[in-house]
Amino acid sequence: MAHMTNPLATPDQLYRRHSFSALPTELQDAIFFSAQCLTQAAGILLQLPQSATAQANVILARYWLVEPLMTYEFSDVSAAAIYLIAKVGPSPRSPRDVSNVYAYLLSTSSSFFRSPSSPPPANDPSSYYLSDTAYQAFHTRVLAIEARILYAINFDTHVALPHPLAITYLQALEFLNTRKEKISRRVVEYLNTALLSPQMLYLTSQPNSLAVAAIYNAAKDLGTKMPECEWWEVFDVDREELGFLVVGMRSVDGWARKMREDVPKMKEGMVTRKDIEGEMENRGLHVGNGHEEELDAEAELARRMDEKVAEMETGV
Amino acid sequence: MASKGKSRWADDEDDAALEAQKKRGKEEKKRLKTEKARKLEEEKKAREVEAARASQAQREREDEDATRPPTKRRRLSPDRENTTATNTTGRSSELLRFEGGAFGRCRSVENYDKLNDIEEGAYGWVARAQEQSTGKVVALKRLKIDPKDRGGLPVTGLREIQILKDCDHRNVVKLQEVVVGEDTSKIENIFLVLEFVEHDLKSILEDMPEPFLASEVKTLLLQLASGVSYLHDNWILHRDLKTSNLLLNNRGQLKIADFGMARYVGDPPPPKLTQLVVTLWYRAPELLLGATRYSQAIDMWSIGCIFGELLTREPLLQGKNEVDELQQIFELCGLPTEETWPSFRRLPNARALRLPAKVPGAATGSAVRARFPLLTGAGVSLLNSLLALDPDKRPAAREMLAHEYFRQDPKPKVEAMFPTFPSKAGQERRRKRQTPLAPVRGQAVELGSVDFSGLFTGRDKEERGGGFSLRMV
Ligand SMILES: Nc1ncnc2c1ncn2[C@@H]1O[C@H](COP(=O)(O)OP(=O)(O)OP(=O)(O)O)[C@@H](O)[C@H]1O
Ligand SMILES: [Mg+2]
Repeated sequence: MAHMTNPLATPDQLYRRHSFSALPTELQDAIFFSAQCLTQAAGILLQLPQSATAQANVILARYWLVEPLMTYEFSDVSAAAIYLIAKVGPSPRSPRDVSNVYAYLLSTSSSFFRSPSSPPPANDPSSYYLSDTAYQAFHTRVLAIEARILYAINFDTHVALPHPLAITYLQALEFLNTRKEKISRRVVEYLNTALLSPQMLYLTSQPNSLAVAAIYNAAKDLGTKMPECEWWEVFDVDREELGFLVVGMRSVDGWARKMREDVPKMKEGMVTRKDIEGEMENRGLHVGNGHEEELDAEAELARRMDEKVAEMETGV
Repeated sequence: MASKGKSRWADDEDDAALEAQKKRGKEEKKRLKTEKARKLEEEKKAREVEAARASQAQREREDEDATRPPTKRRRLSPDRENTTATNTTGRSSELLRFEGGAFGRCRSVENYDKLNDIEEGAYGWVARAQEQSTGKVVALKRLKIDPKDRGGLPVTGLREIQILKDCDHRNVVKLQEVVVGEDTSKIENIFLVLEFVEHDLKSILEDMPEPFLASEVKTLLLQLASGVSYLHDNWILHRDLKTSNLLLNNRGQLKIADFGMARYVGDPPPPKLTQLVVTLWYRAPELLLGATRYSQAIDMWSIGCIFGELLTREPLLQGKNEVDELQQIFELCGLPTEETWPSFRRLPNARALRLPAKVPGAATGSAVRARFPLLTGAGVSLLNSLLALDPDKRPAAREMLAHEYFRQDPKPKVEAMFPTFPSKAGQERRRKRQTPLAPVRGQAVELGSVDFSGLFTGRDKEERGGGFSLRMV
């Protein structure tokens, strides 16, 4: 039984994602980040427990590590992930509820991803009204993607979250000079923000490491005195991994701010495939559909391996 | 280490200070470790209390933690205390690495060649197959999917997969992988690749000319209890234990199979579980009486029914319907009384049930002794406890393992000494057998809402011959 652990991304999976996608890294990251934010917003509107939403975030990340980003509309993939996780957990939500929530979040009435400086959008119910045909189409897409997600992640829907662990560790540590609620809140914030990180921290580290890094960051922020020893080792985390995660968790906020400037579309609501295609055209780049992307990747891998072999042969 | 090497001769102050600091560090870490262990334990308790409170409230308020096994930390590489004590640097370098494996796409069913059908019914399909690359023989079980179901892939199937993935025990059938049909643009055919097990107990019992020996019954029961105890320890209820879901290989090893009804539960179990579980003949009385909060004890009742079946080769309680099943249960186990089952009257369907004040002739107590005249005293006591009407009085699977019955002569037979049987699954196509009132997946609400009292109407006459009658108000 591996309830405390998660399957992690292999170095090869991470490498392929960054090196072989037809999309530039910052666009990949923009898609990932906005879809994860959308998922969290939907989780709140669907009144799912935060744990369920976090699991949907992780499932979404796993899916996109295996399958090309451009195959389906990003918001549909987010909806399918949340529908699936809700279904296998204790708080199932009907396709109708999921559909309503996404229709709203994607409409002009929602303030999701609008620039904070612009005035709040007027509530216009017709902007998120779904005709029956539109609902049926959405529903069908979500079911197809649900099955596809399961296929891509090998039907393993289990996600171990670091949150309960972090709270337990905190109690063991007993930071004397800080109020427990204050530091717990900060820890949970770090853990939730880490879900959005395009570094995909939940796919590179086990829950115990994430929990320890969030505690470390929270304690630092609040000026809490930490034990003098290498206390993270008690929780089976080594210094190197801790360092990586501490930096990774701290950089999400600044990174998100910068990205909103780099990718202007991110101030106008949820990013769509069409936005990305437009952006690619502006940059004079070619965007294939998912399949081409995949074939390209394989061809590219083969080419590089040939090169390597040739190198080695000439070297001898 | 380096500093120590330099000042080998001079045990100077610096060294001492350093040593002291390391020692402090060590002690602090030790303290933290104990504290952590204590907190984890507390946390677990707290969560249980929390779960109890949550389960009173609405279903949606139920927390994920309550339905998952508690966060038990796997203990660990052997004794880190010792390592630290002997490690002069004070830095224990061996941290526990958590292995969670990787993830990636399913393979295609085309990697397997079908050998023969094992079972083909209205819903299910199980076949013997061979993996092309390794030649390994496996069982392929197709997930029952209704393409018209607008809920998507059935949650029961997804649970079956997840639970089997999470399990690793010699008495639980192993899931090797999940594969899909060739066309992956639409995922419509999903197959569980299971270790192939030659027999199921039901087929063996149907065909064997002589019943199992007492020593064999003990070995089978021990393995069943050991598998179930593993499941219950990990907060899994099987909810469909019966002989056709128990597999036996040619080395006498029993494997629990068919997790299509199984699910994770917390402690206490979540409210409002479906009553529509467990095939009628193995269904516990509290389920028949409409309980929606039930526990591990429903599996223990099924084990009792299986015990009886192993002794006689016949299902123990073959009710024709829910009422008849209940009737047969009361005939075998006695009528529920305030003493034998205090909470009985509070069950939904019990209110409408009128029991005879006195049973003419026969004693109100258990008839197990009379029904199994050849069973030893210890055997009768075990069977009686498994078939206790009050779920709280049934033993836990772990307690069952320690029962005297298994220590008395004849001793449980060594698995390897088990007789072998001709494997139907390995050879010919199996006939589809009649399993009466097996729970129909995905229709829980429908049967749950059937008016149980309606089943009694017109039955207020004598229900059966001799014994007594059940009457409705
Ligand atoms: N791993 C296996 N090896 C060999 N035979 C198996 C295996 N798993 C299942 N079978 C055979 O297939 C039958 C049906 O399997 P299982 O109970 O898992 O499926 P099911 O469709 O849920 O059945 P049911 O609905 O009849 O309970 C079993 O009774 C057994 O005879
Ligand atoms: Mg079965």
